[in-house]
Amino acid sequence: MIGYFSTIARNSKAVLQGHWITLKYMFKPSVTIHYPDEKLVPFERYRGALLFDAATCISCNLCVKACPSNCIALENAKNETGKKIAKVEWYSIDFGKCNFCRLCEEACPTKPKSVWHSLDYEVIFVKRDEMVRCWKKDFPFVGKYFDRLAQTFNDPQGQVNIHEVQPRRN
Amino acid sequence: MTAPTPDEKVAAPKPPTPKFVMPVPVLNRSNGRLIEDRFSTWPQRIFDSKWSLPSYRFGAAMLVAIAAALYATGWLVGELSTRGEQAYSLIFHYGASYGLSPLSVGVIWIALKVIAVLLVILVNGLWSIWWERKISAHIQSRVGPTFAGSPKGRNFHGWAQTPIDGLKLLLKEDITPAAADRWVHALAPAIVIAPCIIAFAPVSFGSQLAAANLDIGTLYIFAFAGISVIGVVMAGWASGNKYSLLGGLRAAAQIVSYELPRGFSIVPVLMFAGSLNLSVIADAQTGFWWGVVPKWFVFYPVVGQIAFAIFLIASVAETNRTPFDIPEAESELVSGFHTEYSGMKWSIFFLTEYAYVLLGSFLLATFFLGGGGAPLPYAPFLLVPSWLWMLAKALLMMFVFLWIRWTLPRLRADQLMDFTWKFLLPWCFANIALAGLYLAFWLKP
Repeated sequence: MIGYFSTIARNSKAVLQGHWITLKYMFKPSVTIHYPDEKLVPFERYRGALLFDAATCISCNLCVKACPSNCIALENAKNETGKKIAKVEWYSIDFGKCNFCRLCEEACPTKPKSVWHSLDYEVIFVKRDEMVRCWKKDFPFVGKYFDRLAQTFNDPQGQVNIHEVQPRRN
Repeated sequence: MTAPTPDEKVAAPKPPTPKFVMPVPVLNRSNGRLIEDRFSTWPQRIFDSKWSLPSYRFGAAMLVAIAAALYATGWLVGELSTRGEQAYSLIFHYGASYGLSPLSVGVIWIALKVIAVLLVILVNGLWSIWWERKISAHIQSRVGPTFAGSPKGRNFHGWAQTPIDGLKLLLKEDITPAAADRWVHALAPAIVIAPCIIAFAPVSFGSQLAAANLDIGTLYIFAFAGISVIGVVMAGWASGNKYSLLGGLRAAAQIVSYELPRGFSIVPVLMFAGSLNLSVIADAQTGFWWGVVPKWFVFYPVVGQIAFAIFLIASVAETNRTPFDIPEAESELVSGFHTEYSGMKWSIFFLTEYAYVLLGSFLLATFFLGGGGAPLPYAPFLLVPSWLWMLAKALLMMFVFLWIRWTLPRLRADQLMDFTWKFLLPWCFANIALAGLYLAFWLKP
C-alpha cells in the first residue's frame, strides 16, 4: 500500500519535473541562426573551400603530389628565355574531386601558405564546369571557372560567393 | 588532368565589380586566429534584414491591432449577447414586418448563433496551430515560423503561417487512394467534425453567453464528442491501408476507454453544483473563502485536484495528443487514421483536433476554474468582463494541453489501457466517494 502511493508520488514528481524543464527551456533564448541573414563563423581549423594565392606560390608541385584525389593541377611560368621560374602560369582546383582533406595545405612549403582552406562553406555548383576553378598570374579575380562550351571564363552563377578572403599575410 | 588555360582574349578582362562587399573580420591578420567566437554572426545584407527595428515595430503593432480587433469583436458579441432578448425581438419585429413567421425568425436566429460558434472554431484553428508551433519551437530551443507574413519582412513571428498553410491545403490535390472505399473515405471527415461543432452548442463562453442553454449540457457535450470516434474508425477503415486501420481501431479503443474516467471525474463537480447545466456549474463557483481564495472546484481540497488531474489527462487522451497519441503515432503508424488524407479533408481532421482541444479547455475552465468568475474579489479583476476571464482561463488550459504534448513521450498501447482502467477509473470512484463524504459532512446542501 505504501509502495503504491510512493510510486504514484514518484511518478507524479517525475512528470512535473519534466514539465518544469520544458517551461524553463521555453523562456530561454533559442539557438537558431537565421541562416541567410546571420551566418555562423566556423572554427579556425574548419576546412572550407580551397583558396589559392598566385603571388605566393613557388610552383613546387608539392600540393599536386600530396593531393589524394588528384584535383589540383598547375603549370610553371617561364621567363623570356623559356626557362622555368618559381611562379605558376596557371593553377586549377577541381572541387568535384576535392575531398577537403588539407593535405595540400600541409604540403605547401611557402609561408604563408599559398593554397589553404578558407572558412567558406557556401560551396554550391550549378554546372560541372563550375567545379573547376582556375587561377592565372595577375588575373584580377579569384576562382573563375572555364565554360567548355562557350570557351570563356565566367563567374560562378548559383554560388552566393567564394568571396575574396584576403591571403593570410601582412 | 588538363585544366583549360585562358586564351589571350579573355586573359585580361576588366576586374568585375563585386555585387556586395563582404566584411573581412574573420581572421586576425597577425596570427591567423579567429577574433570572434563561433556564435558571433557574420551578417550579410543580401536583402533587407528581417530583424530590423521598423519591421519589428510594424509586426508588434499588427499583433496589438489583431488583439484589439479581437477584443472589440468579443466586446461587441458580449454586449450583444446580454441584449439577446432585445436582438431577438428586433429580428422578430423586423421579420414580422416582412411577413415572416415566428418559426422562420427562430431559424434565422439559430443560424446566427451557429455561425458565431462556427467562427469560434475556425478562428481557434488559426490561432492555436500557430501558438502550438511557436510553443513547441521554443520548448525545443527553436524559433518556429518566422518568415511568413510578408516578403518585405513585415512579419511578426510568422503570424501569417496558419492562414498561408490553410491556403496551401485548400489548393492541394485531394487524393483518394485506389484501394479506398470512396464514399466512406469522403464521409469520414464530415462525421468527425460535425459532432464537434454540435458539441460546442452548450459551451458557455462567459456568464449567459452560450449558443444553447441546455439543462443537460454536460451530458450533451460528452455524448456528441463521443460520436467523432465513429468518423475516425471510418477514416481508418476506408483508407484501405493497414496503418490507417490500426490507427482507427486504436483510436476507437482509446477514446471509448478514456470516455469513462473523463465522465466519472466530473461527477464530484456535478455533485457539488447539483446540475448538468454548464452555466449553473460556473455560477456554483462564485464566492471566496476568507475573502481571497475563490471557491473554484479545483481548490476544493483533494477532491478538486484529483478530479482536475484526471479530467485533464482524459481530455488529452480524448484529443489523441501526444502522451496518448497512439492512434496517430508517427514512428509506428505513419500518421494513423489520416495517413491517406490530403488537402482539405486532412485539414478538417486537424481542425477537429484543435476544436476538441478548445472544447476541453473551455470545459476545464467551466468545471474547475470558475467559468467567467474573477480570481480575486477586487476592483481591477472585477472590471474585466466574464467572457474575457473565460477566454483567459481557456487559453491557459490550452497552453497546458500544448505544454503536455511537447513534454511527455508516447505511451505504449498496453500502458495506455492499464493507465485508464487500472489507475484513473478506480481513482475516479474513490474521488466520487470522497465527494460524497464532503457533501454529507462539510457542504450540507
